[in-house]
Amino acid sequence: MIKNKRHTSKQILRGILLFIPLLMLSSCIEEIKYNDTPKDNFEALWKTLDEQYCFFDTKHVDWNAIHDKYEKKITPDMSDTGLFEVLGDMLAELQDGHVNLYAAHDVARYWKWYENNPPNFSPDIQKLYLGVNYRIASSIKYCVFQNNIGYIYYESFSDNIGDGNLDEVLNYLAMCDGLIIDVRDNGGGTITNASKLAARFTNEKVLTGYIRHKIGKGHNDFSDPFPIYLEPSKGVRWQKNAVVLTNRHCFSATNDFVNSMRNLPNVTIMGDQTGGGAGLPISSELPNGWSIRFSSSPHYAADMSSIEGSIMPDIAVSMKDDDYIKKIDSIIESAIVFLKK
Amino acid sequence: MKKASTLLAILFCLNGVISAQTDSLQANRYITRATSYGVGHTNILDTYLSPQDYRGIEGRMMRESMKMTKLFNGRVSSQNLFQANVAYTHNQADNNNAFSGLINWNYGLHYQFRVTENLKLLAGGMSDVNFGFIYNLRNSNNPASAKAYINLAASGMAIYRFKIKRYPIAVRYQANIPFVGVMFSPNYGQSYYEIFSLGNHDGIVKLTSFKNQPAIRQQLSVDLPVHYYKVRLSYLCDIQQANVNLIKSHTYSNIFMIGLVKDVYLVRNKKGTPLPDRIRAY
Repeated sequence: MIKNKRHTSKQILRGILLFIPLLMLSSCIEEIKYNDTPKDNFEALWKTLDEQYCFFDTKHVDWNAIHDKYEKKITPDMSDTGLFEVLGDMLAELQDGHVNLYAAHDVARYWKWYENNPPNFSPDIQKLYLGVNYRIASSIKYCVFQNNIGYIYYESFSDNIGDGNLDEVLNYLAMCDGLIIDVRDNGGGTITNASKLAARFTNEKVLTGYIRHKIGKGHNDFSDPFPIYLEPSKGVRWQKNAVVLTNRHCFSATNDFVNSMRNLPNVTIMGDQTGGGAGLPISSELPNGWSIRFSSSPHYAADMSSIEGSIMPDIAVSMKDDDYIKKIDSIIESAIVFLKK
Repeated sequence: MKKASTLLAILFCLNGVISAQTDSLQANRYITRATSYGVGHTNILDTYLSPQDYRGIEGRMMRESMKMTKLFNGRVSSQNLFQANVAYTHNQADNNNAFSGLINWNYGLHYQFRVTENLKLLAGGMSDVNFGFIYNLRNSNNPASAKAYINLAASGMAIYRFKIKRYPIAVRYQANIPFVGVMFSPNYGQSYYEIFSLGNHDGIVKLTSFKNQPAIRQQLSVDLPVHYYKVRLSYLCDIQQANVNLIKSHTYSNIFMIGLVKDVYLVRNKKGTPLPDRIRAY
């Protein structure tokens, strides 16, 4: 009886040991290893962007040609500063404000989309419009102009806003004839803050755009477009006309906010075109510890057109040189006239 | 004299109770419970956050209970295994850190083969439930990666008991290997914003197998009796790997643990009647 038992046990033991070859078939799951050398850091950066950056074809960038161009500038004995400069120049070829290289001594960036254009916003002049008795609700500054037009300034969507704050702001401004939402120089932040504010200006669910994400390492390996809807807020909602003021510094989440607002019937976009930035960025890093950030998931307009470059205003208005001297904000003045009509 | 006879009567009755208990002892009510704590080294990769390995220290708690069941004439044992671990790791350049944690729960049944008087082999299957996270302290829009996966795992165990002089020692080796399961994973370039704020859940739960999730949890332990308890010293090699939606991840942990083992007899009251007043604590 014991002998039979031992025989069965040996059979089972053999069965258990069959797992070992099964395991051997499955190799370790590792990422390609790069050393901390100038060449390997360059290759690691190029490969990460090659596989995950989302705007190569939209921007007509030949990434292989860029590899060949900058590879020649990499030498084994180059300094960290020299390497940073070459890698920063390579990334600047993408002309994307969401692409950065972060080292302890500097941040490589591309900001020409607003640096090479008129600012169309002066904080000093804006202060004259806000006065000294303006209110502050979380990250929003707001007041009522003398001609009974409400004014909201949202400086950064990185600063959070609560539904309670928005209820208070809109209740306070409810008696105004119209509302100006100034997002000039707002370089973006958290999209949910932008959506939370936009939701106060619609009474129904509105299709505002689409999003896609990479599903493979090829430059065109994208998912099907997924619709983005703006749902009306359950809190206080604005029912009168509103004007959104924009300039070239409106980027990323602010670009997304403007894209949502331009789909709403009572809203007019006024000022300069936005700076774009429609690729949701993600972070990664190089073997030497430098951090990188780049666009990964493209957003589109409701008609599937690209909003990576910019969004044009409904009414283009620039700051006039004469008005600058007189401390007049031409764009705010135009918005007041528009709302008073 | 009266007192002595009363004491004798009590002792007699008590002896009767003990005898009755001994007669009614059931194998499936003996539970071996062990709680261990350990620390070790871990190597973590998650390409959703970074292509670099993060290495550092891991702390782990493990709670285990094993008992025989009535299945197959009492030859099947059940094992309930709960683990929780946290890790603090650093990248290769040592200029960024990550926190991670995982909760793992296994419930399994093993058929026990007694090969010799001293050696038992156990073979069976386990459920393998895992929830956890990795938080990268520097990333902006993708700072964290959520871990959620459930498997059916094959499980094998060898338990060998021997004595050095009169000192009884039990050595055990156990390996659990998942062979089929489901795992949550964002798509290759998909943000958590798209999944959770916009509600695009397409393709985020994937079937896993040996091919895309080759993993194994191995434990080698020694139980050493110390007074009324047993001290358990163990080495845990936990290899969790996955390549799902082109996102590669691994956690290689080598942990040394120390714990206490207790043998407990379970008392059941079907009607919820309380234990005799003289022995219950509340």
